[in-house]
Amino acid sequence: MSLREKIAAGKFVVCAELGPPQSCDDGVIRKKAGCFRGVVDAVNITDNQTAIVRLSSIAAGRILLEEGVEPIVQMTCRDRNRIAIQSDLLGAAAMGIENLLCLTGDHQKFGDHPEARGVFDLDSIQLIAAVQQMNAGSLLSGQFLKKAPAFFIGAAANPFAEPLEMRLIRLEKKVRSGAAFIQTQPVFDLDQFSRWLELVRGRGLHEKSAILAGVLPVRSAKALEYMAREVPGMRINPRYLERMRTAAEPQEEGVAIAVEIIGALRAMAGVAGIHLMPVMWESITPRIIQEAGLMPPEAPAPACAPCAGEENPINP
Amino acid sequence: MNLVTKEKRTFSRPMRLLSALMLLGEDVIKVPVFRCQRCGECILSHTGFVCSQRCPKRLRNGPCGGTGEGGTCEVYPERMCIWYLIYRRASLFGRLKMLYRVEKIHNWNLEKTSAWLNVFVKRIEPPKWRVPKGEGWEEAEKEGPCGDSNEGSCAGEVK
Repeated sequence: MSLREKIAAGKFVVCAELGPPQSCDDGVIRKKAGCFRGVVDAVNITDNQTAIVRLSSIAAGRILLEEGVEPIVQMTCRDRNRIAIQSDLLGAAAMGIENLLCLTGDHQKFGDHPEARGVFDLDSIQLIAAVQQMNAGSLLSGQFLKKAPAFFIGAAANPFAEPLEMRLIRLEKKVRSGAAFIQTQPVFDLDQFSRWLELVRGRGLHEKSAILAGVLPVRSAKALEYMAREVPGMRINPRYLERMRTAAEPQEEGVAIAVEIIGALRAMAGVAGIHLMPVMWESITPRIIQEAGLMPPEAPAPACAPCAGEENPINP
Repeated sequence: MNLVTKEKRTFSRPMRLLSALMLLGEDVIKVPVFRCQRCGECILSHTGFVCSQRCPKRLRNGPCGGTGEGGTCEVYPERMCIWYLIYRRASLFGRLKMLYRVEKIHNWNLEKTSAWLNVFVKRIEPPKWRVPKGEGWEEAEKEGPCGDSNEGSCAGEVK
C-alpha cells in the first residue's frame, strides 16, 4: 500500500526523515533505511537541507526504493530554475518516485556556500501548481507530455510563525494549488498548534489535504536550546526546555517528550498522521514508534544499529 | 490556471528605448515610495502596496516558513519580513483578499523594463484596484489569469 492509498484509506500515517550524507556513500542511506523499513509508512529525503551540499534527494530516493522503503522526495526552489526542476521531476518519475514534497528551500546564506547565487525562480506554491500541471499532462511551457507523471504532492506549513492569518492564507493557496498532504514544523507548543489546527478545520483544509504534524525527538537540552535560539520560525514551550535541563538521562527524556507529543497529536481532530524528524538520530525511530503504540503489527524486527558519527549541531 | 505569462518575446529595439525612458519616470515615483526592484511585472496592487520583491528569496506568493518572532526576516534578522509588512499593510487597507491570488511565475524577460509600458502593451495584467467582494479565493479563481485566452479579455477587468 502506498502513502497515497494509506492516506485515502484514512490510516494514521507515520513519516520519518532521512538526511543524505555529505559524500557519495550510498551505504549510509542503505544502513539508515534499515531503521525505517516496515516501521514507518514513508521517509522524507531532504534536498540539501540548510543549503549544505549533500547527495541528491532524487538519487537517495531511488536507493530507498531499492531498499524497500517508500520515499518522499523533497524538491526545493533554491537551486534550480524552472527548466531544471521540470527535468529533474521527469527523471524522478521515471525512476519510480511518487511522493514529492514541494518547498521553497532555506536561503543559501545558512549553508556551506553562502556566496552562492540563490535561484528561487519559482516559489513553493508555484512549484506545487507546476507539478499539478505536469500531472495533468503538460509542462509549464504548454508542451504536451506523452507520458505524464503521477506525483502525490505535499507541502510544508509552519503553524508557529506570525502572523497566523497569513500562514493560513498561504496554506490555503498551497492546498488549492494541489497539495494533497501537509507536513508541519516540529511541534513543541501544543497550545499554539491546536489553535492553528482549529483555524485549519474552520476553513475545511484538513478534508482536502492530510495534515501530518511534525515531531522532533531531541537528544539533549543543548539541542533544544539551539533550536529555540537558532532555527527561525520555531516555538518551544519552556516547559520542555526545563524538563530536558533537569533530566538525569536527557536521551530518555527526549524520547518521553516525543511520545507524549505524539499521543497529544493523535487525540486532535484533523491530524492525519505524524512526521517524525529524528535529525541525525534515525536509530531512535523504531523505539519511539513502538512506545507511541504506532508500530504496525506485522513489522519485522528493524535492523537498526545506532549509526556511528551521528553528529550534528542541531542534535548533538 | 495559467502559471506563466503568454508573452515570451523580448522587446524590439525602439520599444526597449521607450521602456528605458518610461522606466526613468517610473523610478522617480516607485523607487523612493515602494523601494521598487524593477521586476517589470508589478503586483503592488495585490500586495498592499509593499514591494514583495524586496524579499531575499523574491517570493511573490507569501512568506517562507522562517519569519521570526515579531516578524523579522530569517536571512537578515535586523530587517522586517517583507511579507509581514505586506500582511499588516493589506489588513490596514482592507486588501487581505488580494493575497489569495496565486501569482504567476516571474517572466525574467520583463526584468528592468517599465511595468507601466508592459501594462499598456498588455504584456502583464493591469493593477487591480478593486477588492473582490466574495471570498478571496473564489474571486481569484473566477477572474482567472489574464492573457490566458485573448489579450483583449483583460481590458474589462480594470473597471
